[in-house]
Amino acid sequence: MKGTTKLLPLALVVVLALALSHLAWLPAYAQQTERAKNIGKRLLCMCNCNQILTACNHVGCSTSAAMLKKLDQVVARNEPEDLTVQSFIQEWGERVLAEPPAKGFNRLAWFIPGGAFALGLVLVIVVIAHWRRRMTLAPAGPSVSPDALSRARLQADQETEE
Amino acid sequence: MDLFGSFALLLAFVCAVYAIGVGIAAILSRRPLLNKSARQAGMAVCVLITLAMGSLVYLFLTDNFSLAYVVGHSNRDLPTFYKFAALWSGQEGSLLFWSWLLSIYVFSVLYSYRAKHPELMPYVGVVLASVQLFFLILNVFIASPFKVLGALGPGGAMQVITQADGKGLTPLLQYPEMVIHPPMLYSGYTGFTIPFAFALAALLGRYPGEKWIHVTRKWTMIAWCFQSAGILLGAHWAYAVLGWGGYWAWDPVENASLMPWLTGTAFLHSVMMQEKRGMLRVWNVWLVFSTFLLCILGTFLTRSGVVSSVHAFAQSNIGPWFVGFLGLIVAVCILAFLKNRDYLRSDNQLDSMVSRESSFLFNNLILLVACVAVLSGTLFPVLSEWVQGTKISVGAPFFNKVNIPIGLFLLFLTGVGPLLAWRKTSAESLRRNFGWSLLGGLAAGAIAYPLGFRDFYALVCLILSVFVTLTIAAEFFRGARVIRARAGLNFFSAVGHLTMRNTRRYGGYVVHFGMVLIFIGLAGTAFNQDKQMEMAPGSKMEIGAYTLVCQTFTSRPEQNYTAERATIEALRNGQQVMMLYPERRFYPANEQSGTMVAIYSTLKEDLYVVYAGRSPETQQPVIHVYLNPLVKWIWLGGAIVVLGTILALLPNRQAVLVMRAATQPVSAAPAPQPVSATLRSYEGHD
Repeated sequence: MKGTTKLLPLALVVVLALALSHLAWLPAYAQQTERAKNIGKRLLCMCNCNQILTACNHVGCSTSAAMLKKLDQVVARNEPEDLTVQSFIQEWGERVLAEPPAKGFNRLAWFIPGGAFALGLVLVIVVIAHWRRRMTLAPAGPSVSPDALSRARLQADQETEE
Repeated sequence: MDLFGSFALLLAFVCAVYAIGVGIAAILSRRPLLNKSARQAGMAVCVLITLAMGSLVYLFLTDNFSLAYVVGHSNRDLPTFYKFAALWSGQEGSLLFWSWLLSIYVFSVLYSYRAKHPELMPYVGVVLASVQLFFLILNVFIASPFKVLGALGPGGAMQVITQADGKGLTPLLQYPEMVIHPPMLYSGYTGFTIPFAFALAALLGRYPGEKWIHVTRKWTMIAWCFQSAGILLGAHWAYAVLGWGGYWAWDPVENASLMPWLTGTAFLHSVMMQEKRGMLRVWNVWLVFSTFLLCILGTFLTRSGVVSSVHAFAQSNIGPWFVGFLGLIVAVCILAFLKNRDYLRSDNQLDSMVSRESSFLFNNLILLVACVAVLSGTLFPVLSEWVQGTKISVGAPFFNKVNIPIGLFLLFLTGVGPLLAWRKTSAESLRRNFGWSLLGGLAAGAIAYPLGFRDFYALVCLILSVFVTLTIAAEFFRGARVIRARAGLNFFSAVGHLTMRNTRRYGGYVVHFGMVLIFIGLAGTAFNQDKQMEMAPGSKMEIGAYTLVCQTFTSRPEQNYTAERATIEALRNGQQVMMLYPERRFYPANEQSGTMVAIYSTLKEDLYVVYAGRSPETQQPVIHVYLNPLVKWIWLGGAIVVLGTILALLPNRQAVLVMRAATQPVSAAPAPQPVSATLRSYEGHD
């Protein structure tokens, strides 16, 4: 049993790595289909479902069917990707884009998560520094021996036990 | 029966008003009799709403098509099973269902704590009754499910109209999971009312000590468990029914359920700092408030039609009511905080940057940033329309770009946090606790990379998943080794003993392990592939290692719908693995269609087959096939998360033994065994 338990971490690494590594051998799509799919992932279906164009699978959704048909036609013309997307914007407006364009007011959508993280990080660091300063400023008690300190730690552990 | 239901609701409304009024009087006068009366009125609300629910169930089961709600959401051919699900399929019924679940929670709290916390409970009762009152106002006056169909008859008298049949239940909801997913999710949403009530009550009543935070934590865990199960069941329903090959689309309704889950998770971590060190009192109270506010905000978004969503309720007139209620809660919370903020003062001190306390701060930061990212993305279309006059969409690519790095950082903290010691962690302890786990994670990455595992995020996820799994395994291993040495048990029994000695700590590790499995499943998305083609009988399609052969396609009538079904043989290396039957269904009652996906699911991957309809040109069935790796790990991880939470809610075995010993005769009671110092030192962390 002792040998088995020692090998447990190694076995876990191997199992997890092998379970995931098979993914590497999955084949690729045909180029043309892949291109249409990639462009389709940048667009939303305009039926108000808020889903990616290539993922909208509402039964009887005429909007996505027409949009996908148009996408196939435009991709077949082999135009640059941005030009293809632009033709959709002309027809449906910027709300056809699956993510906010990073310009003007819409930059705010991209800024908020990063800004919140930066602000939060600064706050956490300031708070930690403030609490540590409080700890340092707190009056120090009489010096204790290492033995007494370890006994106290053990006691603290026991007292904080559930 | 509709009159009976309406009357029961009206009476429940009166009882809620009474519970508030008499509850406030009890607080002011400190008379126990008034307190008892208010409590009993609060409990009566549950009985009355149960009667109203019962009458609505009866009206559905007896096909009473004089009731507008039954006509709109049921029909004669609808199987009985789904007549229950029809209860919460529309605005009015789901609001009643919400009230009912809330009333069950309220009843449980008022009954369980009837003889406890006499200073706190009157405040709790008033807060709970106030929340109930809001929903009862909606049930009785704004969106009653008991409205009958009527028309003016001769002489101007109102006559009840009875339809021959109903419009039926939306096809998307005619799936077994829809019978359990909404109850689970609603139990989560409504459950967060209890921690809110305790937090606000403790603040209003300046309740001394930390006892209320223990109660709050327990109820938060219950609500969190339901919310987790509800979110995962919803994801599974979307995967199995919507037929787009995915399980999470960052739809506003999905986001609405995720936001309180994120803040609730943050609270479940930071509450430990208050319990152990008396720190973060203000922060914790606001986390509880925010979680409840996000529940209400989510409900508002889902039901008001403010944001576009495939499964939001239709636009209705209840939006302003929710806005008003939200405003009122925010005002009450701010006022209560401003008035009593000195009560929440705590002496926060930190010994070291590398400590459990600071890891909790970072954990809370990440969870809240995730929540802000989801909230801002969900509301940005509304904001952009308001500011620019043009609605900008925020779809899945935005949420994925923003949230994947956040999620991975959170996964990293999942491994690091629990192993850091309170107050201070030494370099030696860091090396001992993380050295091998980190090496294991890097080794897994080194094995996977040459094999072609090149997607950056998926590779990082793999490394972190192995790292976190090893840290968790090491924790169980170290603790179990001590118990095994002491009690002479085998390793697995020792793990069981260890877990039951400190269910909260080890249940937490089980939850973390479940989250690791979910992350592994999510990483599989990087390798999804799909293919669509017309498949005449006998034609073949290749995807991954599979070959699909279309055998037949047929049309057959069923009780409630007509189904077009393809029979697809799935082969792997020339051997049949399964026959798959993807369907497209047409429901004549509401003239809508729905898909029924066929899935061959293994731990490695899901072969997901959708009958997409017939080609308009050739009339041949169009089959869309997805090969989605590792999806099963998500459902498995979800089940483990729920089991871990239940485990964490169980009392510790040691505590149970002590209680038994006290109630048994001295001779029969087993003498408690002394616990070695080594063992105690392991159990000291939490």
